[in-house]
Amino acid sequence: MHSPLRTVSVVSVAAVTLLAVGAVFGLRETPAPAPAPASAQAAAPDRLAETIARAQDRLRTLPRDYQTWATLGLAYVERARVTADPSLYPKAEGALRRSLQVRATDNAGALVGLGALANARHEFAAARAYATDAVRGNPYNADAYGVLADAHTQLGDAGAATAAIQRMLDLRPGLAAYARASYDLEQRGRLAEATGLMRRALAAAVDPADLAFCRNQLGDLAWFAGDLAGAEAEYAAGIAADPSYQPLLRGRARVAAATGRTDAAIADAATVAARTPTPDTLMEYAELLRLAGRTAEADRQLTLADAAHRIFVANGGRDDLTGALLALARGDTASAVKLARSEWRRRPFADVADVLGRALHAAGRDAEALPYARRAVALGPRNASYAYHLATVSLAGGDPAGARAELRRVRDLNPYFSPTDGPTAARALSALEARP
Amino acid sequence: MTTQPHRRRRRAVPALAAVGIVLAGSLAGLGPQVSVASSHREAPLIASDPAADNTDLYAFVSPERPGYVNLIANWIPFEEPNGGPNFYPFATDAAYNINVDSDGDAKADAVFRWTFKNIDKRGGKTFLYNNGPVTSFDDKNLLFKQTYTLESSFNGAPFKTRISDAPVAPSRIGAASMPDYQKLRDQATVQLQGGWKLFAGQADDPFFLDLRVFDLLYGGDLSETGQDTLAGYNVNSLAIQVPFKDVALRGDAKRNPVIGVWTTTDRNRVRVTGDTNPKLGRDRVQVSRLGNPLVNEVVVPANLKDAFNSISPDQDAGIPAVVKRVTDPELPKLIQGIYGVPAPKTPRNDLVEIFLTGITTKAGGPIKADLNSQLNNQDVKAKQFRPSEMLRLNLNVPVTAQPNRLGVLAGDLQGFPNGRRLTDDAVDIAVQAVEGAAQAGKLVDALAAGDKVDTNDNTFGASFPYVALPNQGAVNAGRGAGTGKGASTAKANPQAAPAGDDTSSPSLVPTSAEASSGMGSNAILVGAVVGTGTLIAVLAAWWLRRRRATPTALRRDDTVAF
Repeated sequence: MHSPLRTVSVVSVAAVTLLAVGAVFGLRETPAPAPAPASAQAAAPDRLAETIARAQDRLRTLPRDYQTWATLGLAYVERARVTADPSLYPKAEGALRRSLQVRATDNAGALVGLGALANARHEFAAARAYATDAVRGNPYNADAYGVLADAHTQLGDAGAATAAIQRMLDLRPGLAAYARASYDLEQRGRLAEATGLMRRALAAAVDPADLAFCRNQLGDLAWFAGDLAGAEAEYAAGIAADPSYQPLLRGRARVAAATGRTDAAIADAATVAARTPTPDTLMEYAELLRLAGRTAEADRQLTLADAAHRIFVANGGRDDLTGALLALARGDTASAVKLARSEWRRRPFADVADVLGRALHAAGRDAEALPYARRAVALGPRNASYAYHLATVSLAGGDPAGARAELRRVRDLNPYFSPTDGPTAARALSALEARP
Repeated sequence: MTTQPHRRRRRAVPALAAVGIVLAGSLAGLGPQVSVASSHREAPLIASDPAADNTDLYAFVSPERPGYVNLIANWIPFEEPNGGPNFYPFATDAAYNINVDSDGDAKADAVFRWTFKNIDKRGGKTFLYNNGPVTSFDDKNLLFKQTYTLESSFNGAPFKTRISDAPVAPSRIGAASMPDYQKLRDQATVQLQGGWKLFAGQADDPFFLDLRVFDLLYGGDLSETGQDTLAGYNVNSLAIQVPFKDVALRGDAKRNPVIGVWTTTDRNRVRVTGDTNPKLGRDRVQVSRLGNPLVNEVVVPANLKDAFNSISPDQDAGIPAVVKRVTDPELPKLIQGIYGVPAPKTPRNDLVEIFLTGITTKAGGPIKADLNSQLNNQDVKAKQFRPSEMLRLNLNVPVTAQPNRLGVLAGDLQGFPNGRRLTDDAVDIAVQAVEGAAQAGKLVDALAAGDKVDTNDNTFGASFPYVALPNQGAVNAGRGAGTGKGASTAKANPQAAPAGDDTSSPSLVPTSAEASSGMGSNAILVGAVVGTGTLIAVLAAWWLRRRRATPTALRRDDTVAF
């Protein structure tokens, strides 16, 4: 990866490999092997697939059914979320635009779908615009508020997000609203309440994929609080409900890594990376491989992560945050800073502040990094990795006392926050506390 | 810059160099942290919601038990019989209500409320619904079942429990697993000490229609008819039979025979402060509502469904009129274009009368008959009456010996829109009504065939709860429990399995056949027919003056014990 030509060829080979891998593993419908139950088990119903099939059927005979076009578009977006397959985005867009073609006004359904698609593509400002339009046309549409809440959250408008979520709760309390409300509270550091709401969402869940989603969030919430046993139990329950829901395997891998079972962690991370090859799953896999000393494989996964990002962009997505993370992984700190800054200008969101801080720190610009690292911690007070990053910046900036305080917070919040950085943080804290 | 920081740093460096290097080194081998996902948190937007999926409401006096009225409400359309690994529980975090307005102020005077609990013996280890034949509700082989509590409230008094932990008839999963389903049905049919009868559980979907009729709105025509789209499917049904005096104003059905009925589902309101009070309090959010049939379907042009699902009847008159074509229904114009049947003149005050006030001479509407408005109750004062969308039933209209499926329009005054019997052909009646038949006093011949689905695929029972047993054959392979006209359709059934019984217990995971954000197959249940009429009715209500309700006299509850 040292000459441009080689980079291009490696990336293109990686892209082809990625697509091949994705085609074989990533887009398959059948679930991962699950513990066999006592009696014969029929396949769990795939409600999204049914919705899509029904809609396609209907539209063959009734191409002017604009509502079903909108339904189909939104179903594609949901499917892309569940399968992490960005090639569904153009299909979704086609269906939604067709809906608007048939009926241009009074078509909130299509606007909601386009908003959800925009969110999926990280075009949060566009999503906000679509959702606002949809709400204007139909102030009682709970889905529109869901899309609006998602956009506001990612754009860093916390107050507006909360208001939209409350409106959604006031219109249609149910899983979609509870899940967003839970995330809202989680972002504000109120993990216990967030967990309570996610349990409510779990109680309302009916489809296996929704059950799995809730279990995954509950697992993550337990994880954030450092509760490994709790996290493990939730992920296991989720896998029992829907073994094909990949984020659960990521959770299981995280727990395995934190308890020293690196091989198990790598196995799960490999499965996830193969089935849903997105930059973040590939980067997680790479990290675990590096931890196990398999550096060459780790590098290869990073190359694939790059390719996955390019595919995402090629399908209409824009995500400079991921671009920044990938650049950091490559050691290209200049690009990392540039991309993170660009994203920050678009949306002052906690994750973005954190990555911008890390990029500046990696580039040796700690004085500039400090305010961003602090901002991330302010926006996400219960996030152990933000605290860790602030600690590294403080330390490099000559503030060991600050670093020590932040490292203590890391330990109190979730010492397992990263299989690589967790032990580092613990060692650093010991070293700092050993000072006279 | 002062020298102090340098000095401090120089002193610090030896002790922390190792730490600093370690810290720096780990960052080079980047891994994303837990909270930083390059795909941001994406939550489901459309999720199955059985509580919100209500389908039909029926209200009719008992043919075989004089002095008693039946209220039947259904949820969750397109329930597959045992052809799929699905069963269909009621939601346990919602309340299911049947509401009655007897004084015409558009507020409930009697509320019957059901809430449900799961009894789940599967322990998270299995998703099997049963592990052997289920011969009774208490059979240990039934691993998942539900019970319900029924409460009632009259005239705003606190709710009183009428029965708790009563059995819900389980989803019917085939003859091998449930050799005697009638027994399960009987166990779920209870009579309370005061005479009330109750049923909760799965049943054959009693609605019969060819949904393709509504394709008119999407560029289709009426050429494709004659198939009962719902044949072979089941629903979840709640049925209650109470004496007239329990729902009539002042308990006097002779003076006050008209009641308005609608069904709702609601959940606790949640504040994002995290306050999630699980008790049933006053702060509830209504997630669905249904009065007259076909109202909840997607309505052209406005998205009335979302608004309608959210508001209570007393708010109907206050909705801002946003729809330009509110008094000008689309369907008659489409029919005129295709079939040449002239559309009746607008504004359609006859539809306002049918769906908003009830047919009466006292509201200034064009249909000059006194049939089913609370305005015709002797103890109702006109100024407390508030127009609203609900199913209105006159308890005094005598039971017809030979019910006519076209109800009022065929001279059978006991039929829809005067309440609704199971056998009333709601679609044909609605099509005729939207074409002005009620006002003209005669049927529109060109549309006399309607959707060519005139009866349910299964025969109804002669006594409570009247709905047929759930089907147990896969939809594609034919019908289940009974006989009747109408072929099943393969249209909405990509998951059909071969017909017949389960020989091994299927792994059954609860599901709802529909997404109920309005985006799922409910969208197929388009009903601009009556729906548009109701749209007119509801949104045109801003023409009518608001009335303030005067409180009605309190009435004592009957003491009821089981």
